[in-house]
Amino acid sequence: MKASFFSPDTRRGGLRLAGLALLAICVVAPAFPLGPLAAPPLTPLAPLWAAYGWASEADEIEKIHRFPGVQAPLALAVIGLIQDQLAGGPLGLFVIINLAAFLIGRFATSAMRSPNILSLWAGFVAMCAGLCGVAALIAPFAIGGPVGLWPFAQSCAVTALLYPLVRPLYMDVSTV
Amino acid sequence: MARRKGTARRNWRFTVSAITALLLVGVALTLLVMRDSETGSRAADDGVATGVRAGAGPAAATGGFFARVGAMWSAAERVEQLEAENQQLKEWRDTALALSERMERYEDLLRMPKESFGVGSQIEGAISARLILDPGGPFKRTLLANAGSLHGVELGYIAVNEHGLVGRVVAVGQRSSRVLMLDDFQSRVPVMGLQSRTRAILAGDSSSVPELEFGSITLREPRMDHRVPVDGLRRDERIVTSGDGGLFPRGLMVGDAVQTRDGGWRVRLAASSRPIDFIRLLPYAAIPTVDGEDDPNWRAPEAPAIAALPRNAAPVAQPIMTPPPQAPSPAVAFSDPADEAPPIPDGSDERPAAPPQ
Repeated sequence: MKASFFSPDTRRGGLRLAGLALLAICVVAPAFPLGPLAAPPLTPLAPLWAAYGWASEADEIEKIHRFPGVQAPLALAVIGLIQDQLAGGPLGLFVIINLAAFLIGRFATSAMRSPNILSLWAGFVAMCAGLCGVAALIAPFAIGGPVGLWPFAQSCAVTALLYPLVRPLYMDVSTV
Repeated sequence: MARRKGTARRNWRFTVSAITALLLVGVALTLLVMRDSETGSRAADDGVATGVRAGAGPAAATGGFFARVGAMWSAAERVEQLEAENQQLKEWRDTALALSERMERYEDLLRMPKESFGVGSQIEGAISARLILDPGGPFKRTLLANAGSLHGVELGYIAVNEHGLVGRVVAVGQRSSRVLMLDDFQSRVPVMGLQSRTRAILAGDSSSVPELEFGSITLREPRMDHRVPVDGLRRDERIVTSGDGGLFPRGLMVGDAVQTRDGGWRVRLAASSRPIDFIRLLPYAAIPTVDGEDDPNWRAPEAPAIAALPRNAAPVAQPIMTPPPQAPSPAVAFSDPADEAPPIPDGSDERPAAPPQ
């Protein structure tokens, strides 16, 4: 199965493009004064969906891409930099979080022998919990002082709750 | 005989012309008399109007018909032109509404009483700015304002809106500056109750209501420890900056004290009573330290020995204090044509293109 944004499988490609658009909206919208619905913690951390989905499809993607194993982490790093810049936080914090999500997602999905929606959801929740731990370690060092993790945990919870709804945008349903 | 015929004909002509003239005079007099009387005048007017209407109606209808037939040829073009004009007018209306709102907000900011800036604030050097980005991340609560070093903003400037303290400038770019909000986890502001004078540290925890932490306030020099009784504070008491530590002027409005269920105290921020959109960035220079005081090898200048001085010598003045705080250096270039909404420098005379106050 080819997996690309411009895949011959037009339905899959369309879903991927929709996922990318949703990701862009979720990353950019909190920076604008659009009300509480477009602000943390109600706005989900869409890059986590992308990281988890791309991690689960990494093997498929590596078969068709020219630089296997590079594009997804690179895209996540760029998205993380944009998040950092918009949030006013130290550059690199969200890069690490997104890449950690990708790595955790890789381990989680490769450990699943017969993944289904529940196991994938549980894997995503576990990934979010792991990310809170990563943030607790990295964020105080990055910001240079004590950091409140509660807003990040709330955002992770919202992201995990919405995951089953957006899974087709970031993950090939037929493969799982 | 012939002469008699000629004379008779001449008399006849004269008579006819005289009678004609008299008749015309009579008609004229009749008209004048009728003009004076309302009935006659009205009748004449009505007659004239009826005649004109009767004549003008078909003429106008005919003219209008031909004009319409002629206009049909250019109707589409005219509609397009009108639509374009309508679109332009709508754009102008939107622009006017936006400018009117912006003007209102700036006026609100400029009408702030001097006392609301706290003691020692340099209002003359204040810079008005618009916020262009909201806090976007879960780790930091910052705002991005559209005034930077080109407009005279420097690190440590205090951000206020017309309701109260918003935060402090922590990063300055050329055309933008980032303001650390009061509810950021790393924000610590010395505050006090306006009535009870209870002192506390306002500590943000990334919630919408910053927490009040009671305890000692550590200042660089001189060091003073405060043990503040928790029960000294009253509910809904106005909280202002205490000025301790020298980072904020004393008396800046922060908010109202609210007590939580667990007995803790929080501050309902005054600045967030309405969406924060326009702010003023205030320079604030704390009490200056003595030159070289920070240097561990620094020693106070020794006074000359009195015995060594002649009895009538004047005492030697030792300038040990730095000059009084100066307003920050004015902007290098204020107006940026590329900037959509340039900030307003409020009081500096040296900055060009300062708008009227």
